[in-house]
Amino acid sequence: MPLLSRLLSLRRNLFDKPRVERDLDEELRTYLDQLIGQKVRSGTDYAAARREALVEIGGMEQIKEEVRGIRIGNMLESTLHDLRFGCRTLSKSIGFTAVVILALALGIGANTAMFSVAYGILMRPLPYPDADRVALVYMHFSPQNFDRGTMCIADYLDWKAQNHAFQEPSIFSSRRMDLTSTGEPEQVQGAFVSAGFFSTMQVAPLIGRVFLPGEDRPNSASVAVLSEPLWRRRFSASPAVLGQTILVNGAPATIIGVMPGAFRFPRATTELWTNLQVVPPTRRGPFFYRGVARLKPGVTLEQAQRDTNAIGQSIMRENAYYRNLTLPVERLRDAIVGDVRTPLEVLIGAVGLVLLIAVVNVANLMLARSTTREGEMALRLSLGAGRARLVRQLLTESLLLSTGGAIAGLLVSYGGIQLVRSWNPGNLPLIESVRLDAHALGFMLLAALATGLAFGLAPALHSMRADLNSTLREGGRGSRAGSGSARRQSRMVLVVLEVALSVMLMAGAGLLLRSLGHLEQVTGGFAAPPREILTFAISPSGPRYNEEARLRTLYDDMLERARRVPGVESIATTDSLPPDRQADADTFMIEGQVLAPGESNPAVSVVVASADYFTTMRIPLLKGRLFTVQDRQESAPVAIISESLARHFFTDRDPIGQHIKWSGPDNQVPYMQVVGVVADVKYTGLARDTDDAYYMASSQVVKDRRAYLVVRSRLGGAIAPSVRRAIQAADPGVTVNQVETMQQSLAQAVALPRFDTMLLSAFAGAALLLAAVGIYGIIAYSVAQRTHEIGVRMALGAGETSVLAMVVRQGAMLALTGILLGLIGAFALTRLMSGLLFGVGSTDPLTFAAVSLGLLAVALFASLVPAVRAARISPMAALRCE
Amino acid sequence: MPTNLLQGTLDLLILKTLALQELHGLGISQRIAQITNQTFDVKPGSLFPALHRMEEAGWLKSYWGESENNRRAKYYRLTPAGRAQLKAEADEWQKISLAMANALQST
Repeated sequence: MPLLSRLLSLRRNLFDKPRVERDLDEELRTYLDQLIGQKVRSGTDYAAARREALVEIGGMEQIKEEVRGIRIGNMLESTLHDLRFGCRTLSKSIGFTAVVILALALGIGANTAMFSVAYGILMRPLPYPDADRVALVYMHFSPQNFDRGTMCIADYLDWKAQNHAFQEPSIFSSRRMDLTSTGEPEQVQGAFVSAGFFSTMQVAPLIGRVFLPGEDRPNSASVAVLSEPLWRRRFSASPAVLGQTILVNGAPATIIGVMPGAFRFPRATTELWTNLQVVPPTRRGPFFYRGVARLKPGVTLEQAQRDTNAIGQSIMRENAYYRNLTLPVERLRDAIVGDVRTPLEVLIGAVGLVLLIAVVNVANLMLARSTTREGEMALRLSLGAGRARLVRQLLTESLLLSTGGAIAGLLVSYGGIQLVRSWNPGNLPLIESVRLDAHALGFMLLAALATGLAFGLAPALHSMRADLNSTLREGGRGSRAGSGSARRQSRMVLVVLEVALSVMLMAGAGLLLRSLGHLEQVTGGFAAPPREILTFAISPSGPRYNEEARLRTLYDDMLERARRVPGVESIATTDSLPPDRQADADTFMIEGQVLAPGESNPAVSVVVASADYFTTMRIPLLKGRLFTVQDRQESAPVAIISESLARHFFTDRDPIGQHIKWSGPDNQVPYMQVVGVVADVKYTGLARDTDDAYYMASSQVVKDRRAYLVVRSRLGGAIAPSVRRAIQAADPGVTVNQVETMQQSLAQAVALPRFDTMLLSAFAGAALLLAAVGIYGIIAYSVAQRTHEIGVRMALGAGETSVLAMVVRQGAMLALTGILLGLIGAFALTRLMSGLLFGVGSTDPLTFAAVSLGLLAVALFASLVPAVRAARISPMAALRCE
Repeated sequence: MPTNLLQGTLDLLILKTLALQELHGLGISQRIAQITNQTFDVKPGSLFPALHRMEEAGWLKSYWGESENNRRAKYYRLTPAGRAQLKAEADEWQKISLAMANALQST
C-alpha cells in the first residue's frame, strides 16, 4: 500500500506537474485567506490583518520550494530541470563552452587512448587459459650474464629431472625457418619446441592436433604445426593440409595441426612450430633454449623461483664452467610485455598530468565565469533556492561540460588508437589487443565524472559562501572585495599549479628529446651513408647445401652476379649487422692467458663476414690488415678484433699477432691469429656500449647456411629488385627477406624511443599551451579588474612602461613560482624514467634550465598582451567607468 | 511560550489531530496549538512539507472541500495506513517518554 501510494505520487509529480503545482498554490492561498479572515473577524482591519498574516507565514515561495523538495521524484525532476537549465546557460556562452569542451576532449581523449593502449598491453587477459600460472624460465650465469639468458639441452634435462614446481617443463627456441612446399620458398618465423609446449599453453588447435608426449624423443618423426595466418596464406585454409609433407630448413616434416590466429607465442610473428628432438648432449651448449611451464596447483611463482634456484645450485656444483648461475622465472605477461612497461608507465603518468592541467585550466575558467554570475546566484538564493540546491545545479553544469568533453574526446581517443595501431612503433607487443572497448568507455565515463566534479567543486563552493547583501547591493557587477579576492587567490594558485605541472611534463619531454638526439647521433660504427647501404637476408634451402663446399660456391656465385648489377659499388656477406642484429655472442680465450679455474673472459659479439664487409660498410681499419683472398680454408685461421676488445684485453701489448679462440669447455678448435683491429660497431643496439667483438673470415668458417648480403650503392633502395634477381639467378630456391636500407634499420632501432618522445612532447606541448592560456586568462582578468587603479596611476603620472612592467611582473611572479615548484617535482619524478634515457642524466641541468627559460618566455608573452592593453588605458576613460 | 518541535513529534501530532477529525491546513495547526495548550506553534513552513510528505507516504489522503465560511479548502484525512502509523508512533512515544521520565526522576 505505501509503495503503491508512492508510485502514484511519483507518476503525478512527474507527469501531472502543472496540476500538482496549481494545487499547492491554491492550498497556500486558502491558508493565507483563512488566516486573514480569522484576524478580520477578531477585529483587525483588512490591511493590517493581511500584513500580519504574511509575516506569520513567512515566504510563500520558500514554503513551496520546501514542499517541492520533499516530493517523491524531486531529485529526478530537479536534475532534469538543472540539465535543461545548464544546456541553456552553456549555449548562451558558446565561446566559453567550446574552449572548455575542447580542453577536456583533448585531456579525456588522450587519456582514454592511452588507457586503451596500456590496458591492451598490460592488463587485458592473454589468449591463454590461466595465463598467470604460466612462467618462462631463463638461465643466467657468468660469464654470459644475460638477464633473460638461454639454457642448453643438458641444463633442461637437469631442470626437468629435479623440478618440483612446474607441471611439465618445456623448452623452445625461436628461429627463422625456410619453408618449402608448393609455390615459392619462403622464410617464416618459427620455433623448435619440446613436446609439452602446447599442453603448457593449453590452447586447442583449430584443426588437427598438437605434439604428443614423447614426440620430442631422439629419432621421433618430424612434425609441424602451422599458424592460422600461414595456413590461410599458403595453403588456402584447406583442411587437406593435415598429413602433407613440407620442407622445413630443407628437411621434410608432416603437418599435423593448425593453431588459431590468437596463439602468438613465443613471438607475435611465429607461424611455424616443429618438434624439437631432445638429444642428450655430450657437452654443455649450445645455449639456444628458454623454458616455459605451468605452475603446479597451489605453487606460487616465488616458490617456483626458490625451486629453480636450488636446481641452479646443483647444476653449478657439477659444472665448474658456470659462475653465479640462477634460473630466473618470469610470468608470461611480463615476458611478453618486456621492456615496454616502463615507457608505457611514464606515458600514462604524463597523460594523466595533461588531464590534470586541463582540469585546472577549466576550473580556472569556471571560477572566472562564476564571478560574473554572482548576481544571478544571489538573486536565486534570495528567491528561496537552497544553497545545496545551487551547488547541485552548478555541479550539473560542470558534469554537462565534462560529458560533452568526453563525447568529443571519444573521437580523439579513437583517432589516437588508430594512429598507434597503424604506427605500431618498435613492434609493441600485444598491439592487436589494443582497442576502444567497454573497459575504455567505462574509464572514459569515470574520467568525465571525476573531472566534472573536480573543476566544478571550487566555483560551486565559492557560490555557497556568497554574501547576499553585498552582492545584491552591487547590482551583480562583480565585487572586488570579499569572495572576489578569495576567488582570485584560488585562480592564482591554480595557475601556479598549472605552470608547475607543465614544467614537470616539459622536463620529461626535454630529457627524452635530448636522449633521442644522442641516440640518433650514434652511427652504429660504420662510415658509409646509411641510405646507401642495402641489406638482404639470404637463406638457401635444400639438403644439398648441407655440404659446405656447395654453400661456399653458391655464395661466391651470388656475390659475383650481384657485383655486376649496375650501380653496385661494393658488396659483401656477413652474419651480423648493426645496429642490433647480433648473430652470436660467446666467451673467448687468449692464448697464454692464465685464468683462475672456472674463470673466463665475458661473452663478446662473434661476427663471420666476407673480406669486403669492412670496405662495404666503411668500417675504419685502425691497425694491421683486413681479411684478404689469401685467407682461405686451408690457410692459417685469422681474426680481426674491435677497438674495444683490443682496449679491454690487450692493454699492455700489441694485439696483432696474438691468438684467440672461443672458450667453450673441451674445445679442440684451433687458435686464430689476430691480424687487424677495426673501429667499434654496434651489434646489440644503439643504446648499449657492449662493443667488444671479433670477426672471423667467412672464407675460413661456415657456421650457418644463412647470411646477410650487404650492398653499397648511391642508388640505395632503388636497386633492390635487380640485386634480388641476381641473387635468385644463382639459385631460384634461395629465399630473400628483410630487404631494407641501413637507414630503415636505424630508424626501426629508435622507433620505440621516438614514439615515447613524440608522445611525451605532444603532451608537453598541450600542457604548455594550456598553461599559457591560464596565465593569459588570469592576467587579463586582473587588468580588467584594475582598470580603475591603473587609470589613477596613469593620471598621477605613471608612464606606459611602468604600467607594462607592473602587469608583466605579476605574470612573471606567477610563472616563477610555478617553475620553482615544477622543478622540485621534476627532480622527484624524472628519475623514474632514467631507464629510458640515453646519454643524459635524469636531472640534466641544461634541460631543466632550457625548460624553465622556455616556460618563463611563454608566460611573459602571455602576460604581455593584457599588459599592452593596460598600458593603453586612457586615464579619463578608466576613471569615468566607475 | 511556543516551543520548537522535537524531531519526529510533528508527524505524531498531525496524525493524532487527524484521527479525531478531518481538517485543512490552518485547522491542523490551530488544533495542535489547542491540544498542546499552545506549547507548539506549527508554522506553515514545516506544516506543509510534512503534510505532503505524509500524503506521499500513504498515511494521509487529501480532498478539496468546503470550509467553515463556505470557501474551498484542502482537507486531510487519515488512511488505514495512517492509523497504523499513529498507533506505532504513539506506542514508541509512550516508551520514550516513560524512559525519559524515569531517567529524570532517578537520583
